Amino acid sequence: MTNESSTEEFADTQTSSHAEVVSNLTTSLPVVDVEETTRNLGNPVIAFDHVSKVYDAQPKKPALDDVSLKIFPGEFIFLVGHSGSGKSTFINLIIRQLKPSHGSIYIANEDLKNMRNWRVPYLRRNIGCVFQDFKLLPNKTVFENVAFALEVIGKSRHVIRTQVPEVLRLVGLEDKANKLPDQLSGGEQQRVSIARAIVNRPPLLVCDEPTGNLDPQNSRGIMDLLERINRTGTTVLVATHDREMVDNMRRRVIELEGGRLMRDQDRGVYGRHV
Amino acid sequence: MCTVAMSSLFYFFRESLTGFSRNLSTTLGSIITIFLSLLIIGLFCIVGVVVNNVVASVEEQVSITCYVADEASDADIKTVENYITGLDGVESVSFTTKDEAMENFTKSMSSNTDIVGQLDGENPLPASINVDLNEAQEVSSIAEQIAANETFKKICDEPSDPASSLQYGQKTVDKLFSLTNSIRYIGIGLIVLLVVIAFIFISNSVRLAILARKREIEIMRLVGASNGFIRGPFLMEGALHAIIGAGFAIAALEVIHRVALPRISETLPWLPIDVAASTFILVYLLLIVAGLVIGLLGSSFSMRRYLKV
Repeated sequence: MTNESSTEEFADTQTSSHAEVVSNLTTSLPVVDVEETTRNLGNPVIAFDHVSKVYDAQPKKPALDDVSLKIFPGEFIFLVGHSGSGKSTFINLIIRQLKPSHGSIYIANEDLKNMRNWRVPYLRRNIGCVFQDFKLLPNKTVFENVAFALEVIGKSRHVIRTQVPEVLRLVGLEDKANKLPDQLSGGEQQRVSIARAIVNRPPLLVCDEPTGNLDPQNSRGIMDLLERINRTGTTVLVATHDREMVDNMRRRVIELEGGRLMRDQDRGVYGRHV
Repeated sequence: MCTVAMSSLFYFFRESLTGFSRNLSTTLGSIITIFLSLLIIGLFCIVGVVVNNVVASVEEQVSITCYVADEASDADIKTVENYITGLDGVESVSFTTKDEAMENFTKSMSSNTDIVGQLDGENPLPASINVDLNEAQEVSSIAEQIAANETFKKICDEPSDPASSLQYGQKTVDKLFSLTNSIRYIGIGLIVLLVVIAFIFISNSVRLAILARKREIEIMRLVGASNGFIRGPFLMEGALHAIIGAGFAIAALEVIHRVALPRISETLPWLPIDVAASTFILVYLLLIVAGLVIGLLGSSFSMRRYLKV
């Protein structure tokens, strides 16, 4: 019960501030290099407060090093950086696959450090996840793969029967519902995995290299889809090293290098020097 | 809320059944070991009940015979009888005269009349005081007290060593107890061993089920399935193995109950073997509970190691 109500609050704050975000994005100018951006957009969806993550295997080389930033409802953010720059660690920290070694992470004002283990699943119901390797179940159809996400959080058949076709229509796969994943192209498989991530209508969508396995045309389609999802008010965070995509879309760019936050720039591009 | 719980249970059940077909050999292995260990636990329970019956019937027969010298006076015998009656643990006291002793002996030797004939009409048998006891365990302490009695020392058959005038089934009782004790130890050892094997088999098949569903579990975690929901099918799988194994064990015991026991009591009529049906039902309940405990512990052991949620 507590979870349901907190979800609603989450959604409320997000929709009320969405208009502000959009107006802010159109007026703001590019900000070069790391800067404490003082925005007044309500409560941040994600707040990193001096977060470091050190893996036991590499005690000398932190995967994330003293990262502080805030992400507000309705934003579309690119997380860029080379392989090993800490992008995946960043994402795993948000969904609490990992715990930070130092510092605090707040998701919708809740401190992940103090979050009890049994509460973690309820956190993840508010965060959709998309990965480079799709993570689809090969022996289930497209419909079943998407329905699985609702089934395992105990949603009723009625909810499944109404929400799954709806989300498949949104990602443009309504006529492929009964296909198995290996009968689909890579782009289509990624659409299924996006559909699965958003079918529960989470306020936050996190994508780790969503176009990493796709050709440019399919990648474009996936990005259009993510943009469309963002326009419904969902905060979207995309980790990528797809330079062209970032440069085309001109959204907020957060750059990591060797675990450090190198740049946090509105309407930014992939490379540092334009 | 209730319907959600019901549909989850149904889901767990369906998922654990697919686990069955996926790892048929290990599933069979764990069901068979559970079956064997529960069967042996059940057998020992039943045998234990039979042995207790035997012990009880032997204990009932435990008595002390105090041989009295031929020349003892009736007054002294009366005094000793009164003394013995007053002891703790004594149920009743009776007196057997020389003639009655001879009569009993003749009766017990009826198939072998020569021996009685060779006595040439003489009666070498002493008269005796027979003491029946409430507590078989008390037999030696009561015998000591009788042997220490002054009047008994005077009238006993062998005044030099009063204790040798007493005869009782202490040895029989001791032997029986040591036998039942060693049966118990062997049984417990065997049960522990089998329970451990069953536990290992169950946790192994649950481990395989977890590995087979690694991908699904990963996705379930990502989309926020609760820990209980992720664990449910595996707990259910362990419990199902256990219940099926227990079902087989109960069926086997029921066959023993219906077919084997009547045959045994036909061939060995002196063995007090009849076990009440209620005892069997109790044993069956015990087996189901024991099976569930083994199954649930086995699967949670594997989940602890292989299913970090």
